[in-house]
Amino acid sequence: MIARRVIAGLVLAVCPTVAPAPLWAGEPTAAIEHFETQIRPLLAAKCWKCHGQDKQKASLRLDSSASMATGGDSGPAVVPGDPEHSPMILAIRYADETKMPPEGKLSDGEIAALTHWVKGGALWPAYPEHKEPGEAAAASLPEPPPAGQRDSLWALRPVRDPTPPATQSSGQPKTVIDRFVLAKIEELGLSCAPPADKRTLIRRAYYDLVGLPPSVDEVDQFVNDSSSDAFAKLVDKLLASPHYGERWGRHWLDVARYADSGGYETDIYFRNAWRYRDYVVKSFNDDKPYDRFVQEQIAADEIWPDDLSLDGSYVMAKAKLEHLEARIGTGLYTLGTQIHESNMDGKKLDYERLTDWADTTGSVFLGLTLGCARCHDHKFDPISQRDYYGLQAVFAGSREIELPLVNGMEIADFKQFYPRIVAVDEARRAYRLFEQKVAGRKLTPEEEQEKQSLRDTIAAAVLALPEAAGSSPGDRFDGLMEIPAASVLGHVDPALVRPVHVLNRGDLDRPKRTVSAEIPAILRTATGNREPLGGPATNRKQLALWLTTSEHPLTARVMVNRIWQGHFGAGLVATPNDFGKMGVAPSHPELLDWLARRFVEQGWSIKQMHRMIMLSDTYQRASAYQDPRNLANDADNRNLWRMNRRRLEAETLWDFVHATAGSINLKMGGRPVVPQLADDEISALREPWQWTVSADPKEHTRRGLYLIVRRNFRFPMFEVFDSPVNSVSSPRRDVTIVAPQALWSLNNRRAFRQAQAFAARLVREAPADLPGRVDRAWAIALARGPSESERSEALALVAALAAGAASAAPLEDPPAELAKLPPELAAALTKLCLAIFNLNEFIFVD
Amino acid sequence: MKSTCCHRHEVALNRREALARSGSGLGALALGFLLGRDGALAAGINPLAPKRPHFAPRAKRVISLFMQGGPSQMDTFDPKSELQKLDGKPLPDSFKSEDLKLQFMSAAGGTLMGSPFAFQRRGQSGLEISDLFPNLARFADDLAVIRSCYHESFIHGPALSLMHSGNLLLGHPSAGSWVVSGLGCESDNLPAFMVMTDGVIRGSSSAYSSGFLPAVYQGTLIRTEGAAIQNLSPPPQITPTDQRTLIDQIGKWNQSHLAARADDTNLAARIANYELAFRMQAAAPDLIDLGQEPQAVREMYGVDKEPTARFGRMCLLARRMVERGVRFVELYSNDWDGHGDCPGNHRGNADKTDKPIAGLLADLKQRGLLDSTLILWVGEFGRTPVMQGNKGRDHNPYGFTAWLAGGGVQGGRAIGATDEIGFRAVDDRVHVHDLHATMLSLLGLDHEKLTYLFEGRQRRLTDVGGQNNLAERLVRA
Repeated sequence: MIARRVIAGLVLAVCPTVAPAPLWAGEPTAAIEHFETQIRPLLAAKCWKCHGQDKQKASLRLDSSASMATGGDSGPAVVPGDPEHSPMILAIRYADETKMPPEGKLSDGEIAALTHWVKGGALWPAYPEHKEPGEAAAASLPEPPPAGQRDSLWALRPVRDPTPPATQSSGQPKTVIDRFVLAKIEELGLSCAPPADKRTLIRRAYYDLVGLPPSVDEVDQFVNDSSSDAFAKLVDKLLASPHYGERWGRHWLDVARYADSGGYETDIYFRNAWRYRDYVVKSFNDDKPYDRFVQEQIAADEIWPDDLSLDGSYVMAKAKLEHLEARIGTGLYTLGTQIHESNMDGKKLDYERLTDWADTTGSVFLGLTLGCARCHDHKFDPISQRDYYGLQAVFAGSREIELPLVNGMEIADFKQFYPRIVAVDEARRAYRLFEQKVAGRKLTPEEEQEKQSLRDTIAAAVLALPEAAGSSPGDRFDGLMEIPAASVLGHVDPALVRPVHVLNRGDLDRPKRTVSAEIPAILRTATGNREPLGGPATNRKQLALWLTTSEHPLTARVMVNRIWQGHFGAGLVATPNDFGKMGVAPSHPELLDWLARRFVEQGWSIKQMHRMIMLSDTYQRASAYQDPRNLANDADNRNLWRMNRRRLEAETLWDFVHATAGSINLKMGGRPVVPQLADDEISALREPWQWTVSADPKEHTRRGLYLIVRRNFRFPMFEVFDSPVNSVSSPRRDVTIVAPQALWSLNNRRAFRQAQAFAARLVREAPADLPGRVDRAWAIALARGPSESERSEALALVAALAAGAASAAPLEDPPAELAKLPPELAAALTKLCLAIFNLNEFIFVD
Repeated sequence: MKSTCCHRHEVALNRREALARSGSGLGALALGFLLGRDGALAAGINPLAPKRPHFAPRAKRVISLFMQGGPSQMDTFDPKSELQKLDGKPLPDSFKSEDLKLQFMSAAGGTLMGSPFAFQRRGQSGLEISDLFPNLARFADDLAVIRSCYHESFIHGPALSLMHSGNLLLGHPSAGSWVVSGLGCESDNLPAFMVMTDGVIRGSSSAYSSGFLPAVYQGTLIRTEGAAIQNLSPPPQITPTDQRTLIDQIGKWNQSHLAARADDTNLAARIANYELAFRMQAAAPDLIDLGQEPQAVREMYGVDKEPTARFGRMCLLARRMVERGVRFVELYSNDWDGHGDCPGNHRGNADKTDKPIAGLLADLKQRGLLDSTLILWVGEFGRTPVMQGNKGRDHNPYGFTAWLAGGGVQGGRAIGATDEIGFRAVDDRVHVHDLHATMLSLLGLDHEKLTYLFEGRQRRLTDVGGQNNLAERLVRA
């Protein structure tokens, strides 16, 4: 992340020409920035109210270069380069008769900024000028911008099918991907890192595809498999693993801003959010075609409307089950941040939702950051305010609903059993009446007994609640006894759909004209789409189908880039949620297009893309390669002359620690897990009841993916290791390296307990002697044996620690294998294991 | 120093060239950017190493006293004689307007409520402070009261977000994170940005989050009891000797791993972090050991008495932190949200905080630290002159009060004004962006140059605002 920002910063500051054909080609970046950060906001705030599109006092408009030059009743407003003869400047100085703005003189700084701007030539970056259609024309589709503007944004140009370039290197490049990459490396005179050794490669592949370390046997098997397709077989095996969906599902959940709660002050709990999480995991495991995945999330209810009723059997028909699953996909839109208090103001609540929905759609599927256009026409991309609110309007007829996930029979079961819930309530009421009766006095022994008996009655009533429906015991009720449901999108009564307005500077209290649901104009041009959307019941469907047309310039490119990033740590486009002008241009535009083409051609199969990428030489290169010439010319490795080294993400580190310790519980899916926390870890939580620890300790070592994601209280270890800010779509994880991370690995009680489990595992798996256990430890944790010096240092370390063990506290509930060792040796071995968790080699993947 | 917006990137570029020449790689480059201004690189690879400000600073560090819930201006620092006269009368028509929105009530039908607290002229300056703060009143000549603060949200969550990050939405860095990113930290064994609270922080960590800035700049919540920092002490099975042995061996193995990867400063930084972590374990317990303070000092802060004990400890800890080089300390006082009985609520909160805050000012002064330490007192908004229910006041973002002290600020004066009844800021209005711009300026940072590229835009703490920067007017000549 840090690196990404550097790259972006550098491109912006020093090489604007790297950005493909900017609209303002030739105009100095600093001047544009000055205009956009100083001048435009100032004009918008102080001038446009009277001299803009709504009003033109004195026939004057000050909202474009042309209108300034034309001026109003008294001639041009500015003379570029000559502030002293520019009426606008004289007016804002309050020097003459005309004093503007009339409500109060601008600050000295503002006057100086405008003067400076005029003096510098009154540069006005030549974006496509946005034209508001008149009220009468609003019903029809506004004329899309001309194709010339589309072509100025590389990401909107049609996806080409470039011919792979020829390369000169002696060895034949293995794949087409390599030809694109190598051609550039050769052109720049860089050298390529050698192939990674097999142990590095298998650890990399496991990390990439399943997010777990390979077992010792799997490493040995792979290292000893000399067949030419050994790696291809490994890749296929991992793609078939159910843990693949967990790993790639987590990537998607970052993009989807997934959380189990709403954030802000009260952090309201989303009890159904995990259904969406499990849906995502399953979708990746099923290799659900990406076009279908997109369609489901945006509009499953509109594309596959289904009553989900039974037809003569307890078992729901397969098609209906598929439609039910698809609808859970729209849960994407129910996961955004939510301000508790906004429920007091329906209009505001709607607006916040629509803002989240439009912004999320833009970031996730279009790879475009649209939020800027909420307050003003996008400063850098050709997205107008009207476009933005048009996209909001696509969702205006939608609302969040709860969709029961069980069939009609089970819903009837729930109703049949409902008196059981009444029984719990009555038992509690009886207890409250008793409390009132005895309030303020000491209880007699008989009353003490009565109190206990009343409490027992409550417990008995709770325990008597059915935990599953009678008709299909496999489907458990949620919570105490609730119909399992998913939060999904449904529809507002058509008569109640609120109109969407363009808002003055995004301010809900300053509505301007209403807008109809529309795909942003520039995107319609790019895709040749000229059909207006049909109405609240089908708007999302049309948006989704439009997005997944095979010729769409963004959808495939954006997803292919995310897949690439998941393998290399950086995308071909380093800003995966911003394919616009402020994003970073692709390092390999032709490769990106070639991949996007293949992606669509191969039925939008994500797993096929993994295969193609991982079987390339480019993917299989070593990361530890330090050609000084390469470092001098391409220190960021944008040209992929080596593999990027990656630090385990928060959840992956969690998984690696528990998998290495042998304690990981690989159960999949279900309600979020709430692990036990130490006192110091939980101190920032608002209310202790918000952290109800999962009762079964085996749950506490589930994969990190399944741990509860509270917006207001990030899981402490994950927070330390850069779990994403999930208020908006997160395209890429931060990677920070800070001292509290070292404190976690050194001191955290969980880390120590896992070191204990790891030590016990060593005793179990290498019963003979200490050197054998050291070898085993290295093999499990690092996928290699220790060097001679590492082995002897490890043995010396254990000896030194064992010698001092008497002065330390004894191990707490050591596992049986460990308890059989002499205590000082058990403790020393545990500490060696802890040291291994702290190694850079453990926490980084080469 | 050039004054273009792109300045920071030019620095990064130069550093990039330097690093490239020295054969360093991606990590080094990232770090170079992270370090920002000149001189930092020389300090090694610590992204929190002290950095040179943009211009000569008046203040070197900040203690932010955040009165969560929203203290009433009319009852504290903004006396309104007209409001006193109109006590019990309906809100005059001249104050009604369409865009005036309150959380729980309609202002239009409201009845005005004068302050039950008397105001007196204090100090040589004659600055008016209400009887709620008899101890703080002794420092009237040190306080610059800003009576014309305002912003756009009358709801706690977004208002807290605004006051901390200058933005209504989550995900933006807090002021403390910006300051630390701009100035680094003068302590090499404590976090640069520390947060304490005597209750719940509404919005939890989002209030002190680093948002889109690197997480290294986020605030660290310090407990005033027990472990001050998470994972600060090793498990009982690991003795100090064990730990040293382990850290040495880990370092040795990590060094040999580094040999073939020398260009990756992430790896090197991680090695260095084990030493910082080790020092933090020693430094933090010392920091929180208030037993070292003489009785007279504890007395000043009210550490040993109720109702001042908790906030007193926090204030005393804040002094110990800034003394040790911590850059930004934020203290939360809870909860000033006086909807039901505003006078009663404020009396209680003032009793808890008045003496500790006065003690903090006195103590910093006697140690010669006040001049270089900026103190900011503010809540997420003020309260209404119209009465809510019987004795309450609703939220009011249209006009409220903050005060600054120390950090070169000339005290004994009031800046800006609300209308006759204290409802709206009308004179010399100070938006939260202006307040942030002022704070940054006093620290030697230009709020327009302290930027970070995120989602396609050079972000600032002050967004596109901050034009009414008070710094020049505030500082002592």
